Amino acid sequence: MRIDLNEIQHWIPQHSRILDLGCGDGTLLKYLIDSKQAQGYGLEIDPGQINICIDKGLNVIEQNLDQGLGNFADKSFDTVLMTQALQTLHFPHLVLDEMLRVGKECIVTFPNFGHWKARFHLFTHGRMPVSDLLPYEWYDTPNIHFCTFKDFEVLCHERQIKVIHRQVVNESSQSLFKDIMPNLFGETAIYHLSKS
Amino acid sequence: MALNNLGGCHGSTGPRSINSATGKAWGADFPMIRVRDWVSSQARLADALGIETWAAVVGGSLGGMQVMRWALQYPQRIRHAIVIASALKLSAQNIAFNEAARKAITSDPHFHDGHYLDHDSLPKNGLAIARMIGHITYLSDYAMGEKFGRDLRSGNFDLGNAEPVEFQIESYLRYQGDSFANTFDANSYLRITKALDYFDLAREYEDDPVIAFKQAHAKFLVISFSTDWRFAPERSHEIVNALVGANKAVTYAEIESKFGHDAFLLPDERYQQVFARYMAGVSV
Repeated sequence: MRIDLNEIQHWIPQHSRILDLGCGDGTLLKYLIDSKQAQGYGLEIDPGQINICIDKGLNVIEQNLDQGLGNFADKSFDTVLMTQALQTLHFPHLVLDEMLRVGKECIVTFPNFGHWKARFHLFTHGRMPVSDLLPYEWYDTPNIHFCTFKDFEVLCHERQIKVIHRQVVNESSQSLFKDIMPNLFGETAIYHLSKS
Repeated sequence: MALNNLGGCHGSTGPRSINSATGKAWGADFPMIRVRDWVSSQARLADALGIETWAAVVGGSLGGMQVMRWALQYPQRIRHAIVIASALKLSAQNIAFNEAARKAITSDPHFHDGHYLDHDSLPKNGLAIARMIGHITYLSDYAMGEKFGRDLRSGNFDLGNAEPVEFQIESYLRYQGDSFANTFDANSYLRITKALDYFDLAREYEDDPVIAFKQAHAKFLVISFSTDWRFAPERSHEIVNALVGANKAVTYAEIESKFGHDAFLLPDERYQQVFARYMAGVSV
């Protein structure tokens, strides 16, 4: 399982009602159902991923996150999750607001564009970073709204979002520096949020 | 198992069947029917066959309405509910098209207030027009354009040409109407469209589909088609949202298709994949 998914489970109590935005192939949703007796739904727009979710017997609903979550009632889920999808949205800040309306708590993970490799690439090549973590060219990338950890913290502050937990994980190496200088050495951020 | 609807004219008892009290066809005296009557008749058939529980009940359009009714009326007898290109209730526009179709039938001089069999006549023109109206609503603008465009079946636009111009689409619709009029019963058509109009899943549940679906035990698969304007994807969203509100298991797929409501009857790779993969998880 992807490292950020592995960390998330610690923040999900047993029997939670969860909504997973951009649930992909349903790995996390299935894991939380099996190990935490959670129940809930995944939202996804990719037909191939939806098929895999159906194979797994998951409740997957085809829905475009950019059109909001207006169809879900206030505080109707214990936790609303969104892993590695924030940067693909047209209006990340509005979706974040919606997540905090629909869920009592939220968990968001996203890649850190402030990672030293990205900075180094831009600095030395003068071109948009392409790496193992971000393997797309600027014109065909699904990631249209990159941010750094600092940027995200500023957004949370502006919108009065309370950070319950924050965690930085690295897929490639267990850099000790990531805990000291997360915005430079952290690859993936995991935020546990609620509305303050 | 697939069966003809009660009140239809291709198998189950309907207006063309003999009323044992009179020895004549029911005709206009055949009672009005509701979607719940179809479901009840199906349940009685299941009883007769000794079928306790269906692994899945599958239906498109008005069949989807029956599936939802099954899930509420006999929650313990259906494990999976597959609702395709359907709606919780018809829109005003849907009812309007149905009424135009019914008016075409009832204003046909051969209709005789529904007692046409007694007069040895058939309201074929009215039935044909009703079918033409219905058929237009099943197709998308794109599908019609692609299939027929402005192609002519006969005649041309040259000056002095006496042969009348006939577009392919006109000929096609006329053919559809005529062949339908020769095989379908007008009283059946009136009853089936009325049953559709009257259907409103949440009516006796405080007009709240969430409360309605709380009765259900089945797992749901809901499918819609992008260009279906008769039972638009928004109608399926209403079904899905109510199921989520009722905390029921539901999977939803919105199939990209150019063929309007008709798409639910046509082969489509993604449609078939979603359906097949879901059904693979239905244990029998």
